[in-house]
Amino acid sequence: MIKTSAKRLGLAALASLALASTALAADKPYAGLTLNLASQNDQFAAVIAKLAPQFEEKTGATVKVDILDYGSLLTKTQADFVGHTKNYDLITMDIVWAGQYADNGYTVDLTDWIKRDAAELQLDDIYPATIKYIGQYNGKQVAFPFAGYAAVMAYRKDLLDAAGIKVPETAEDFVAAAIKLTDPSKKIYGFVANGQKGAAVAQDWLQYNAQLGGSILSADGKPTLNSDANVASLKVYKELFDKAAPPGAVDYDWGGREESFRQGLVAMMETWSVGAPGYYDPNMSKIVDSVAITYTPVGKGLPVKYGLGGWGMGINADIDDKQKEASWAFIKWLTSPEVQKEFNMEGAGSYIRKSTLADPDLNKKYPFLPVIAKSFENADGDYRPRIPQYPEMQDLLGTAVNAVLVGGTDPKAALDEAQEKAAQLF
Amino acid sequence: MSSAASTLPASALPAVRRRRQTALQRRIMIERIALVAIILVYMIPVVWLVATAYKPPKDMFSSPPSFVFTPTLHNFQRVFEVFDVWSLLKSSIIISLGSAALSLLLGVPAGYALARSQSRYAIWVAYFFLAIRTVPIIATLIPFYLMMRDIGLLGTWWAVILINTTLNCAFVTWMMFSYFRSLPRDMEEAALTDGCTQWGAFIRVALPTVVPGIIASTLFCVMFSWNDFLVAMFLTNLDSKPLSVALLAAFGTKDITWGTLGALAHFSTVPIMLMALFMNRYFVQGLTKGVH
Amino acid sequence: MTSLASGSVSIPQRRRSGLGFRDRRRFFLIALAVPAVAYIVLIALYPLVQGIWYSFFDYRLLKNGGRMTFIGLDNYVQLFTDNTGRRAIINTFVFTIGAVFFEFVLGLGLALLLWRDGRFNRICLAFLLIPVTITPLVVGLIFRALLAVDYGYIGYYLAEWGITSPRGLFAGTATALPTLIFIDIWEWTPLVALILLAGLKSLPGDILEAALADGATSWQRFKLVILPLLLPTVFLALVLRMMDAFRVFDSIFVTTGGGPADATTSLMVYGVKQGLQFFNIGYASAISNVTILCIGLMAAAFTLMIRRADVKANEQ
Repeated sequence: MIKTSAKRLGLAALASLALASTALAADKPYAGLTLNLASQNDQFAAVIAKLAPQFEEKTGATVKVDILDYGSLLTKTQADFVGHTKNYDLITMDIVWAGQYADNGYTVDLTDWIKRDAAELQLDDIYPATIKYIGQYNGKQVAFPFAGYAAVMAYRKDLLDAAGIKVPETAEDFVAAAIKLTDPSKKIYGFVANGQKGAAVAQDWLQYNAQLGGSILSADGKPTLNSDANVASLKVYKELFDKAAPPGAVDYDWGGREESFRQGLVAMMETWSVGAPGYYDPNMSKIVDSVAITYTPVGKGLPVKYGLGGWGMGINADIDDKQKEASWAFIKWLTSPEVQKEFNMEGAGSYIRKSTLADPDLNKKYPFLPVIAKSFENADGDYRPRIPQYPEMQDLLGTAVNAVLVGGTDPKAALDEAQEKAAQLF
Repeated sequence: MSSAASTLPASALPAVRRRRQTALQRRIMIERIALVAIILVYMIPVVWLVATAYKPPKDMFSSPPSFVFTPTLHNFQRVFEVFDVWSLLKSSIIISLGSAALSLLLGVPAGYALARSQSRYAIWVAYFFLAIRTVPIIATLIPFYLMMRDIGLLGTWWAVILINTTLNCAFVTWMMFSYFRSLPRDMEEAALTDGCTQWGAFIRVALPTVVPGIIASTLFCVMFSWNDFLVAMFLTNLDSKPLSVALLAAFGTKDITWGTLGALAHFSTVPIMLMALFMNRYFVQGLTKGVH
Repeated sequence: MTSLASGSVSIPQRRRSGLGFRDRRRFFLIALAVPAVAYIVLIALYPLVQGIWYSFFDYRLLKNGGRMTFIGLDNYVQLFTDNTGRRAIINTFVFTIGAVFFEFVLGLGLALLLWRDGRFNRICLAFLLIPVTITPLVVGLIFRALLAVDYGYIGYYLAEWGITSPRGLFAGTATALPTLIFIDIWEWTPLVALILLAGLKSLPGDILEAALADGATSWQRFKLVILPLLLPTVFLALVLRMMDAFRVFDSIFVTTGGGPADATTSLMVYGVKQGLQFFNIGYASAISNVTILCIGLMAAAFTLMIRRADVKANEQ
């Protein structure tokens, strides 16, 4: 008697469990799925990892975030694509990889999905420049932006005031001010930028090169590494390193550059907006009270443009449809206004939405958001050409510019050699 | 000793001996001071690595460098937030022990066979094994990657174990070859004539005499696999990646975080350091015969 | 010759037990060696041969859909005519010779200091093993931090006191490679010392005592008795270190990335960039084949010397 009732009870429990699980499935369309995300070790990585359980709660899909350094990320994802090994479902894509992704079809073309889900995405709220540059190439959308960075200028109010210098608005004024502000005996330097061989120095020089009117591609898409304007701007860059940068700067990468600014060695620095929260963080920074953020200088007579960089999220083209669908759901979730706000409240420093940049809570925490907003409205994401050959060109420039900075090599000769090698890539 | 003493008159003997003894003592003293000095120089980077893990981020970069700081566990907190340290540690242990075990399993018998072989080609086979250890990993990594994909082992511990074992097993074979060769074969031959099987002579007679060599080989293999980063970076995924791969991510590209690096390095360095400290006696013993 | 002789000896035995003792012994030994040989051939040799094949092709995984075009020796020609390639070859040799030379000299000194057996020396030895156990990647990063001119405990003062240029050791084209050699010496001298110490401890005691009894000075004893006996160990230490130093990657990768300019680009750094960053498989294979060839030549020279020293030691 007791036995049968126990059995019946068990059956009932089982039935209700089955019911619950079907209800769950409707609720959580991707229950049981696992999405592997390869993420660059930028500020957003730890935040994504922290917020991912919310996505699981909502949809049932577990998101595992593999945090990698830039070199490992590039190597591992490329190997995953060319070997069709499906290690990763979601991949953070640097803005400059777009050409390679599009040419080789590594990731899903999101164009139609974006069109279909335009209302859900609230596309009007997203800066068009971020969508255009971070992921759009040759009519394909190989990634969806989730972390837009604006090139901004960080400077020290106290040092500029003391020297009676106005915040420079043109590239030419910037150079003059940087040299004037430098006083090695007091360990104060006017300027800092990346000098280390490789991507570090190449990317920073390209930014100054664009501001000084140079370009490494001609209008018809051929490399022009050794153009007169480029040689001239490289001479200026070297002059800045010789006369206005901390001596160690020839060996700085992004980390070293940011650190020298946070430690108060430097008066002015062009940088990505993502680093800005760090200057206001008393745990890391010694310049909390004197720092200010403004627009990057623009070359005299050149159109007003501000550098755009950042990361998009791509979906591996090799994975099966259900995984792709879940991945797209994750991208939509990550870029939704609510999550973007929380994402940035947690310190991701990554913006794509007008509403996020206008959010009062965020503005209270980070006073420099209007600068990013205006920069995004006049953004140029092509000063580093996003062509398939870019990674190799960047490598050639990384060696050439570094060789000039450490002395010994003539700017023209260095760029001539790089040009010769670059020409072979086309 | 005796020849020096015999040229001197008997009455001078105690004085000479005393003088020689003080000279010896002085020499030992100088040697010890030199050793301590060398060790101190050697410990500076190690102390820095340990100390940096407890340093607050702000003090890390002060210029001029600051020597005083309030220790904090913030870096460890951060490491545990970003990384699954225990999973990394587990992968490191499995990969290095797995590769060591497989290398010994293959290498020790091969070393024995080559040492006991009468063939004059044996020595050349042994040198072939040594030569294999010189192969730069980039040569084999991409073909190996595709091979692992095809047999479905990519992203597993096995992939790393298998490729590390090529170099480790080559090294073990060579080292055990030298070790076995330095030992007399009388005992095995006696055992064989007494009716012991071939297998028995190898396992029960020859093997017990080379235990120090096996321990030294194990240490070499474990150290090699534990510290390797390029291969593991390429072949593992999130669930199978070892500490060595995470170290670079802990250091960061755009934000130098010496503190988290130092904290994670605690986990990557301490186990292997302890192992080396406790086993260092066997290390020397094992090498003593394995180096000829 | 030997196989013929052994064959004729075992004929009567074979009649009795099917297989003669020597044949059985030989089969047993071959059976023991086969797994290792097969493993190496399958997992190391097969990709290696593939690498040699690839090196004659223009084979880029990220271009032309990964198509292979036969180009003969062009990859090798490129390596030897390209500025970076030539620099990498020279740098690798300079690094290897510099590092191994000093590691040997200092390691030998250290081994002699540690030779006297005792508790004190054993503890010292344990301490000296610590650097050997630290991940090379971390060692590179430690020195990068210590030598930084802005905040490094060593680099700051070296620059401040004018001992180095204000830009620091890693930023100078003339100082970067020696600095990396120094790091290698720091990490690996104890290992060389350990191997040499093991060699010293295996020296026959009676010969040493005899030398002492002959009234030889320490230097004579070292030069005439110890060093010749130690030769096989010396060569082992040199070969092992040479092989690893020639493939230096980790410490360069995390400190200078091959810079400034190409001053510290080694063959491995160059090869990994071409192979694992640009997936230029043909060229990367050529680079690694040249690396193998260089190590092979150096190792062959060493091996011949070991053999000679070995024969000599056996004659005594």
